Amino acid sequence: MNNFDLLATHYWYPLYPHLAHSHFRLNSETIINTWIMLGIGFLLLLPVRRLLRKKDGIARYLAISFVSSFVDLTKQTLGTLHRRHFYFITALFCFIFLCNLASIIPWVEEPTSDLNTTLALGIISFMYIQYYAIKKNGVKEYLKSYLSPFFIMLPLNIIGKLASIGSMSFRLFGNIFGGSIISKIWTKVISGSVLWESVGILSGMNLLITGFFGLFEGFLQAFVFAMLTVTYLSIAIQDEGEDEEVYEGATL
Amino acid sequence: MIIEWAEFLHYLTIGLTVGINSIGVGIGEGLASAAAIEAINIQPESKNDIAKISILGTALIETAAILGVTISIIMLLDTSTPAHPFYSRLGELGIAFAICLSGFTAGLFSYLPARAACFATARQPFFGPKILRLMLITQSIIQTPIIFGFIIAIFIKNQAVQAETLSDSLRLLSAGICIGLGSIGPAIGLSRFAESACEGLGVNRKAYEKIFPFTLISQAIIETPLIFSLVVSMLLLVWKVDSCNPIAGIAFISAALCMGFGTIGPGISSGKTASSACKQIAINPDTYSTLSRVSMFSQGLIDTCAIYTLLISLLILLFH
Repeated sequence: MNNFDLLATHYWYPLYPHLAHSHFRLNSETIINTWIMLGIGFLLLLPVRRLLRKKDGIARYLAISFVSSFVDLTKQTLGTLHRRHFYFITALFCFIFLCNLASIIPWVEEPTSDLNTTLALGIISFMYIQYYAIKKNGVKEYLKSYLSPFFIMLPLNIIGKLASIGSMSFRLFGNIFGGSIISKIWTKVISGSVLWESVGILSGMNLLITGFFGLFEGFLQAFVFAMLTVTYLSIAIQDEGEDEEVYEGATL
Repeated sequence: MIIEWAEFLHYLTIGLTVGINSIGVGIGEGLASAAAIEAINIQPESKNDIAKISILGTALIETAAILGVTISIIMLLDTSTPAHPFYSRLGELGIAFAICLSGFTAGLFSYLPARAACFATARQPFFGPKILRLMLITQSIIQTPIIFGFIIAIFIKNQAVQAETLSDSLRLLSAGICIGLGSIGPAIGLSRFAESACEGLGVNRKAYEKIFPFTLISQAIIETPLIFSLVVSMLLLVWKVDSCNPIAGIAFISAALCMGFGTIGPGISSGKTASSACKQIAINPDTYSTLSRVSMFSQGLIDTCAIYTLLISLLILLFH
């Protein structure tokens, strides 16, 4: 296992001669990979407008079913469809899913296998939820919610809120990082001999590993992240008694 | 000879971290999936909702195994040579305790809310999205012990290279033991409470308005012993070791054992208290205010045991 430098990354010191401290360094691979994936996402979106004009196309069906499934998700969880929250949740899901898919493209690594990216995503969703909680209830009620049910619970409430950032970002990071390491080890094992490489291709093992860790695990983790965000959001901004009406008709 | 022992400890840590974790997670995922299939048998119409619950539930249970794999791969690929191999590897053994005890327990027991949610959806087919929501929240809170263990493990990993004395390595080992033992009780309590909350929705969907806030508050109280042991672990990680004092290592280990074992009873029993209250609220939502007050009061009394052990372990740390 020596000389097997999977964890090495390249660093970039933007303020090099003056501030070469490790606090001021950037993880250049992550930034480049993120921009590559954003560019690919943008290129994928360009033809969608033209495809949407065509009636009875499969692209039109896929796009509409994707959007409507997220509309349903937001509506069911938040009670009513808030456009702003819908945009946020969908954008979060698309970005994370795109980042998780990066491993199927050669020479590109998942930006989400870097803890900095997932922590940033966790902090973004946390801040968004806190902003809307304050906007909904006012500063006084918001601060009072930290003291419920007793005032002794203040430190526990604060730790509990902050732990949600950790749990969301570490879950995403751990899953994607573990998957990317496993596929890298598999590539290392089969590379170097024509026999092993052909075994890898013909047995379908390459496809299985990429499909499972890239597509399935990536989709699942992105969905879990978006779902947890929307659920925490619904707790923060919930209206009392409003939710019951949505399901009253369905049960009858 | 000492080098061989150091290598043995190193690979033992890696093996335990991923192996013990996977046993719990494997059993838990299997039971959750089996429950989903049984629930589909009972109510075939709601198979989409039940399948969604089962997939998301198993994905959340999987977190424990994946975090174990991640930390063991990081350890396996790390090529840095420690200054003192044996003490460094002995400290690394704390990672095994931190990850495998919490991962095994949380992985094994977090099938309970998934199973209860599947059967609840079979009973209340049109209420699936809300049951899914409750299950997601409760399960992601059950994951907290593993996340805490993972964070502590990363800190131990970073500090283990510099460990040069026996007390220093025992300090790292005891930080791992503390969070590992400390997560067993709260994980079991959280899972049992989450199970009865999901079951309660299946019994009476009108009780949702009462059960949901009760769940959030109760899980925060059940988690209290876990946060105490996190505090002690963090203190152990930043503690300055007096290298002249040979007793220091033993004091660290005993503080960790004190805090760790002290959380098991409070975690389990406060979970049981809250779960009985939750069952009664589901049957009769009008009694919510009385029941929640009584339940919180008794949970507070139960948690005083954890506070006593926290006090004693802090005293051990201060006056050894």
